Amino acid sequence: MDRTETRLQECFSKVFPDLSRDQIRDASAASVGAWDSIASVTLLMLVQEEFGVVADMERFEEFTSYRGLLEYVREACPDG
Amino acid sequence: MLARVDQADGAHLKLAEALSLAAARHDGNPTVRRVWLACGFTPLHLVTYLKARALTSRREALDIRTGVFGDLPGNLALATADKPAECAVIVEWADLDPRLGFRHAGGWGPSLTRDIESEAGRQIDRLIRAIAALAETSAVALCGPTLPLPPIGHTALSQETAFELRLRAAAASFLARAADIQGVRVLSQAQLALESPAGERLDAAMDLATGFPYTVPHTDSLAKLLIQALFPPPAKKGLITDLDDTFWRGIVGEVGVEGVCWDLQNHAQHHGLYQQFLAALAERGVLIAVASKNDPALVAQALGRSDLLAPQHLLFPVEVSWGAKSAAVSRILSAWNIAASDVVFVDDSPMEAAEVQAAHPDMTCLAFPRSQPGRVPELLRRLRDLFGRQHLVEEDRLRAASLRGAEAFRQESGAAAPDEFLSGLHGTVTIDFTTRASDPRALELINKTNQFNLNGRRITEGEWRIHLAAEGSFLAVVSYEDKFGPLGKIAVVTGTTRDGAVAVSHWVMSCRAFSRRIEHHTLDRLLAHFAADRVELDYCPTERNGPLSDFLRSFTELPACAATVVITAGIFEERRPALPHAVRGIGNGSDRNATSGMLLEGVP
Repeated sequence: MDRTETRLQECFSKVFPDLSRDQIRDASAASVGAWDSIASVTLLMLVQEEFGVVADMERFEEFTSYRGLLEYVREACPDG
Repeated sequence: MLARVDQADGAHLKLAEALSLAAARHDGNPTVRRVWLACGFTPLHLVTYLKARALTSRREALDIRTGVFGDLPGNLALATADKPAECAVIVEWADLDPRLGFRHAGGWGPSLTRDIESEAGRQIDRLIRAIAALAETSAVALCGPTLPLPPIGHTALSQETAFELRLRAAAASFLARAADIQGVRVLSQAQLALESPAGERLDAAMDLATGFPYTVPHTDSLAKLLIQALFPPPAKKGLITDLDDTFWRGIVGEVGVEGVCWDLQNHAQHHGLYQQFLAALAERGVLIAVASKNDPALVAQALGRSDLLAPQHLLFPVEVSWGAKSAAVSRILSAWNIAASDVVFVDDSPMEAAEVQAAHPDMTCLAFPRSQPGRVPELLRRLRDLFGRQHLVEEDRLRAASLRGAEAFRQESGAAAPDEFLSGLHGTVTIDFTTRASDPRALELINKTNQFNLNGRRITEGEWRIHLAAEGSFLAVVSYEDKFGPLGKIAVVTGTTRDGAVAVSHWVMSCRAFSRRIEHHTLDRLLAHFAADRVELDYCPTERNGPLSDFLRSFTELPACAATVVITAGIFEERRPALPHAVRGIGNGSDRNATSGMLLEGVP
């Protein structure tokens, strides 16, 4: 697991403190009951704070899985 | 599509930190306080920040209830029905008229401005009514519009239109009306502007996408001020000031009585401003004393100058000697009979301030910036904050005078037998059972009294209102005066009555009223008023309630930990000393809110 992924996992564990690291890797709005629109917004704000990127609200609907957000962060922040 | 942004200002809590705090329950305080947040927008992480700020400032966990999006009056009604002890209310422009927000498209044309003004006026009236109803049972922290108006004016940005100015005036008038409602605390827009610059508050993208309009730093600033307003820290009670190069410019021993100055012509206006501020504090009931290393005779002459802005009669005690400042401070604390933690010490000398701080670690010691006049307003702002209080009451005016009376009382009481001395005071104890929750003095006494305090438990304004509204509750407020002058309202007893017993949850009495048997009169009157055969006291020993414990111990044995202590009417009658004062009772037991039923019992 690289540094970007470690930092993103930290963001997820703040929003979903009951999920294990393995569960976070597979997390999505469909599989995690607590992942509602408020959780999505909070995740985006945390990503903005942690990685220093402004979340593109037009792509808000895409941010519904850990893997989707990881891809977004890597695209926005290639140096981690 | 993507852009880098600066990290949040270090002075603010990051969202990750706020989430961690909000998720944690403080180990030492497992209770969770129910608080409402009423606003017209989606509250999102404002809830998180309110929880986090409550934990950092009060070490208390909050359970925050919110209503539905877009309906502030409805949310106020929901909060009112839920009767929380505390409620935070935020009113943004869009709550006065949706056309003043970004999530509606009702038009911004010049033809609509009159209608927007009218609608905002009607909504303000609705909100005032709703907030007044909420404040009947809850403490309310109210924040007025914090976001910029939309670009609705026809002028360039350097100018305001009359329409915008009228809207701002309507909002200011709304907040002023709300501030006049008992129990409502209006957030300071000036303080908010210091913490959160106006141009950095709106997150338009977030507002459009989610309905939450604030940037993260602004959210944190708002949460911090709301928590401070809902749970204000206890105000300091006394200020001890140095004289030379603090109270006035110059060293009186070197430049002489006429050489010290505090005016503009002598470039000493910052000392004059400090004196002016001390005089205002004294008028509000803050105790002001002097601790100075000086020649007492010279200081007496200097303090006798008629042009002082804080005249001599406001200063008590005046401790002038060549001994250590910390020893002078100890003597002042003893004369005031208050704790070091309730006092602020101001001196221009860092060495003196450090010496006092070492001896009194709980005291707030501040430096007077004698060579930096521009920093004096900052000092005065800090003092305003430290001495900030919700209400000013008549007793504030009496406090300093009664402390001087206490000195005469001590001198006379040492020369006569107690019964004879107390009878000679010609004292009158007034016990008022008609006081309402809206009288701030009773709650203030409960929250600032330490020595004669049944259990040391503090209570918020919201909890106070809920307590007094409960079935069977009573409130007795005790006032006293004698030949040394009035002490004002100096004691409070509250609790409930049931089955021939008076259950007392709080009993406090100001230390200014000690040694006069007012507590005996109070207990006597309480038993008679409710025709009770016993008083059940919710007692808890604290580090500082020795005087209360000594009083109870004269009637019964005391437990070492929190427990109910019972004093029966028979035991009280058997063991009480003579009751030396006339007693005036107001109100009767069957109707605790009645204003009739006044009686005056004779002096024994």
